Amino acid sequence: MKVAISLNINGEEYHLNVEPQRTLLDAIREDIGLTGTKKGCDSGDCGACTIILDGEPVNSCIVLAVDANGKQITTIEGLAANGTLHPLQDAFVQHGAVQCGFCTPGMVLAAKALLDKKPNPTEQEIREGMVGNLCRCTGYAKIIEAVKSVSAANSVSGA
Amino acid sequence: MSFTIVGKSLPRVDGLEKVTGTAVYTGDMKLPGMLVGKVLRSPYAHAKIVKIDTSKAKSLPGVKSVLTYADTPKILWNSAGFPPSQGAILVEDQYILTDKPRFAGDAVAAVAAVDEDTAMTALELIEVEYEVLPAVFDAREAMKAGAPLLHSAGQNLAGFIPIDIGDIEQGFRDADYIFEDRYVTHKVNQASLEPCGVSIASFDVNGRLTLWTSTQMPHLVRAIVAKSLGMAVGKVRLIKPHVGGGFGSRLGAVNEPISALLARKSGRPVKLQYTREEAFQATESRHPITFELKTGVKKDGTFTARQMKAYINAGAYATHTPSFAGPVAGWFLAMYKCPNIKYEGYSVYTNTAPTGAFRGYGNPQVVFAVESQLDEIARTIGMDPRELTLKNHPCKGEVWVWSNWEIENCGLEEAVSKGADSIGWEEKRGKAQGSSPNKKRGVGMGYMMHVSGARPMLHETASAIIKFNQDGSANLIYSSSDCGQGSSTVLSQIAAEELGIPFENVIITKEADTDVAPFDIGSHASRQIYSGGNAVRLAARQAKAKLLEQAAQMLEVGVDQLEVRDGTVLVKENPGKNLPVAEVVYQALYGKHGHEIMGMSSTEPPGNPPVYAAQFAEVEVDTQTGEVTVIKLVAAHDTGTAINPASVEGQIQGALQQGMGYALTEEVMLDQATGRILNPDFTDYKLLTTMDMPEIEAIIVQAASTSGPFGAKSIGESGLVPTAAAIANAIYDAVGVRVKELPITTEKVLALLREKEGT
Repeated sequence: MKVAISLNINGEEYHLNVEPQRTLLDAIREDIGLTGTKKGCDSGDCGACTIILDGEPVNSCIVLAVDANGKQITTIEGLAANGTLHPLQDAFVQHGAVQCGFCTPGMVLAAKALLDKKPNPTEQEIREGMVGNLCRCTGYAKIIEAVKSVSAANSVSGA
Repeated sequence: MSFTIVGKSLPRVDGLEKVTGTAVYTGDMKLPGMLVGKVLRSPYAHAKIVKIDTSKAKSLPGVKSVLTYADTPKILWNSAGFPPSQGAILVEDQYILTDKPRFAGDAVAAVAAVDEDTAMTALELIEVEYEVLPAVFDAREAMKAGAPLLHSAGQNLAGFIPIDIGDIEQGFRDADYIFEDRYVTHKVNQASLEPCGVSIASFDVNGRLTLWTSTQMPHLVRAIVAKSLGMAVGKVRLIKPHVGGGFGSRLGAVNEPISALLARKSGRPVKLQYTREEAFQATESRHPITFELKTGVKKDGTFTARQMKAYINAGAYATHTPSFAGPVAGWFLAMYKCPNIKYEGYSVYTNTAPTGAFRGYGNPQVVFAVESQLDEIARTIGMDPRELTLKNHPCKGEVWVWSNWEIENCGLEEAVSKGADSIGWEEKRGKAQGSSPNKKRGVGMGYMMHVSGARPMLHETASAIIKFNQDGSANLIYSSSDCGQGSSTVLSQIAAEELGIPFENVIITKEADTDVAPFDIGSHASRQIYSGGNAVRLAARQAKAKLLEQAAQMLEVGVDQLEVRDGTVLVKENPGKNLPVAEVVYQALYGKHGHEIMGMSSTEPPGNPPVYAAQFAEVEVDTQTGEVTVIKLVAAHDTGTAINPASVEGQIQGALQQGMGYALTEEVMLDQATGRILNPDFTDYKLLTTMDMPEIEAIIVQAASTSGPFGAKSIGESGLVPTAAAIANAIYDAVGVRVKELPITTEKVLALLREKEGT
């Protein structure tokens, strides 16, 4: 029996009718067609499906779409504003933190969620904040560098 | 020689689309009328299907096709993505769907339905009656008389490679010391973030098949799919969009034959996307190999005899294994000089998921065994392992046993020296200091050699087309098999440097399309830059020559007076006399004799310059619990010219995560009663996270090749080859115990520590 829900994604309202067991990930990817959020395991282990839900980074594959009704969702597509990259996105590209790119949307959002709460984290805090995001290409090294560089810019600008 | 683009850590050409989520991977695509495919898998490791009834599944509304073995073309094929070269032993023993499952997870039926839920319900409605057969999971057990047989030959031995050089028995008689050890390596999964196995198949009204798939080998997989379906190759078009990592898991056909068969039978496009569980259960992983290693050495560290027996677990189907056994021998033979070498490699079928290609292709296994033993040898004869390795490795100018070609260059001395400095070898080796009374630290080293391409065993064909646009930019048409390693970017750098135009003005085809891009073998054997770059450079040279011809006419000078720099054609001796490339191209297109300025190349590179590396590990071992903490990993790699240093570094850093996981935490665990994988998920298959990775340092040594583009060699696979050995050797340095069976778990270390205490 489908349920009518309303998802606010990147500032836009989407009205859907979903089965109660539909995951938020599947609703975003299949019903709405925003495919930037990736499915890496569908069991809440890898973080490729990370989105920001009411300010918290979550694995959308283990959130029910019905439970996201009325909440604020940010996906990777919502980061760049008017064609300008978010500083994290730019940093990832400049620091060589992107290889296959499959973990990237989740990584960027996890980093954003972290920096939104803690603009100047230590390296250890960055590693802790992103421990839920697996990567098989980079060994995380340049990802951490990229996040650090934005953190450093934050401290310079007094963010 | 100084370059303007080669040698620069330029940002990836596909970075922007990946950070914005606009990069399209196969699983992101939807076609009109597309169905969802699902596969029914045998729960038994070995069985015969007595009866299979699909009638209920077929009559479920929304189900458009249900297939079993009866529906498959009776054509045997092999999934491995190899050209049919001399060195390729392609045993064809697979059908698209089977009536005799040979591993738990083997595909026995497939459905295509209007959505995923319907497809999964349909699977449940397929009724299968199995006659369960005895199964065998261990290679050595499978070789014994009376073991359950998997295929029609009277034995489970899929292949045997014997190699005899010199006189091994005399070699052992000449030795001052003999070392004899058994090393066991295990099954690990490539675990790319994009689960392995995603393809979309669509037949058009002309009977032509188009496949979109995450693959490493566009042209070869096209041919395999054509064969499996009994189609002419020209009737198949394969397109590779962005791929979320390969590491060898996509080095051949994965599920394309199934999606294609479903598309053919249903008359509609079908997307077949494996879950993470299926990626673990049913795609090809690393070969478990058991080694018996016997080495004879003189007091002065000269090897007099090197002997290896390798028992290679092929899994249920041949795939790569009969060919793979050759490189296993090769890695062993080629890494140290010795006049007497004996190798016996047994490839054995077992009722486990088929093994295939995983970064390093047998080298990580071999090096774990050889370099663990080398550390023992060094200690026994009282020599530093650095010295022992440097004394016995094949050097520049010598003939490399792997290829029978002369080694073009060797940066190992520099790698060992820099790596040892960085880890603090002199200060830390043999000291067993710890951060607290129960903890001990140690340092260890591992050395390796690897290839740049697969010559001479396999063809190294690569092709490229370059065509100039009237704005001065150039299209580089290439069968891109970039799975994240960054080859598209580096090949663009090579083209830009050779052409003399800005890097941003080279537009490479990021998707591979076999209808458009000329033949390339694909991404394997660390070949994209050495072989692909070679073809790109030659195509660029040809295009540039035609550009200069046109410019020479326009400027009224001789061709050899001209050069191209930063998008301008100029007279070398008089740079004020010049033309923008754009203008030259425009005149070529629309001037007196309209033609496009193009260059083309399809060729194999001249050689196979080996790469070298020395990796160093510092570990701390808790003597009360056996827990191993890696403090630091230093990876010093001779890669030849690093065309994009950040990319080379990124490859090493990523490989270290895989190498350390291989050493310590990753293991595909099998239920010994049923043959089912116990941990087909990331909860229990332990990939290292941001918190697990230690301090790592990648050191790039650039001992340029003479035959590679701008002196390049390779890096793709090397980064994880010696890591496990370095860690194992560091553990021994710390606490004096040696785990010879991967992974090196806390339990194994603790057991050895207790045993040592008891003596």
